[in-house]
Amino acid sequence: MTDAAFFTEVLIPALLKGGVVSLQLIALAAPFGLLAGIAIAIGRTYGGRVVSGLCHGYIIFFKGCPLLLLLFILYFGLPSLGITLPAFVAAVIGFILCNGAYNSEYIRGALLSVKEGQMIAAQALGMSRWQAIRHIILPQALRRAIPGVSNEFIYLIKYSSLAYLITVTELTGAAKIVAAKYFAYFEAFALVGIFYLILVSIATVAVGVLEKRLAIPGFSGK
Amino acid sequence: MNMKILTALVSVAILCMLAVAGCTGTDNKAPVDKPLYVVGIDGDYPPYSYMDEKGNPIGFDVESIQWIGNEMGFDVKIQPMAWDGIIPALQQKKIDMVYSGMSISPERLEKVNFSKPYWIVNQAVAVREGSTVTLDDVKEGKVVLGAQRGCTAHDWFDKNLIQTGKMTADNLKLYDNVQLALTDLQNKRIDAVMYDVPVIKESIEGKPLVMLGEIQTDEEYGVAIRKDDTELLTTINEGLDKLMASPKWEELKQKYDME
Repeated sequence: MTDAAFFTEVLIPALLKGGVVSLQLIALAAPFGLLAGIAIAIGRTYGGRVVSGLCHGYIIFFKGCPLLLLLFILYFGLPSLGITLPAFVAAVIGFILCNGAYNSEYIRGALLSVKEGQMIAAQALGMSRWQAIRHIILPQALRRAIPGVSNEFIYLIKYSSLAYLITVTELTGAAKIVAAKYFAYFEAFALVGIFYLILVSIATVAVGVLEKRLAIPGFSGK
Repeated sequence: MNMKILTALVSVAILCMLAVAGCTGTDNKAPVDKPLYVVGIDGDYPPYSYMDEKGNPIGFDVESIQWIGNEMGFDVKIQPMAWDGIIPALQQKKIDMVYSGMSISPERLEKVNFSKPYWIVNQAVAVREGSTVTLDDVKEGKVVLGAQRGCTAHDWFDKNLIQTGKMTADNLKLYDNVQLALTDLQNKRIDAVMYDVPVIKESIEGKPLVMLGEIQTDEEYGVAIRKDDTELLTTINEGLDKLMASPKWEELKQKYDME
């Protein structure tokens, strides 16, 4: 097989197929990871002793548990408890749990940056605690959390590659198969690197646009 | 003045240490003219190459190359490493050969030389105890199959089932190693696992798994050596001839339960 044919007939088609799976993993995990992060951050900041404690425990556990280990538990460990998740589902759940834990810390930081006086003022206007969080604090905090959360999103793009270790043939897994068969390690992984670089660049630009769109005049800090 | 004394003392101390190191060095070293070859192995590939309880490499292939080294007059350093990167490591001269149940394939022959084949293996199919899966189900791709990524079984399923359209690619699950595949077989996500016969035999011991049978792939194992290293290739081929003609060969086959 010539070098050109290897690229066009073997390597690139395999990587594209894997790339689609990677995108599916990221597209499913990111929004739920964000929602989980918001919920946990609110629970930890405004919840009572029990809720706040539970959220704190969640964060300690999932920040401390290596993602690979978490995926292995979800995929290889849970069946002994009678729960057999498909590999793709196990991967997405693992990513959401991990992504949520990290996101929640960025969001908690943003929640705490909104001055306490706003909560008191909102309640003085007759809003419930929840209404104040929902309409006054969250809209400000989420905007401030964008830079941190986008960092975590970029991590997610890269750690989605761990899914191949639980049999999901995503981009890195597809590259490994081709590389091992044809000993084309450099070619395969160089292309994979470019693919991730493109994804991350797109994500970075998109986050920048989002930040501009959501900016409130007079609140940009400039 | 003090500084000078200190410097002198330190120099003497260093010289002493060097002298001692020199002594132990020459004591332990074999004669200088004996070449040292680094042999790359997969550290988790029983019975060919694996680690004993103390972390020392053993196995059919490991003992074979140690015997050959002894016979042909070279020292052997066994280097366990990741299988994925073992051919690049050979090409980059981090190791001098791969002697670890490596099958001779056209793709590999493009990159490296192989010694004469020293062993022929077939693929074994493992299923759960009491499973109704038959060998024909596996050959026709009617059940969900598991294999180690990049190994013979993966290739065989790919060529004979997926590329012929008998089975969809989704029904072949690929694992980083065969032990994970066997775990998933017990977890009932897959119905059968295919891998090299001796490894399957050894791995299913004590698990609720049985060997269903073999699929004839007649894969040949050889020692991989760099293309430009023709001298070593000749040495290894001669060594293999001697080994296979000696009683040691039968002894090793017995010891590792190879037949």
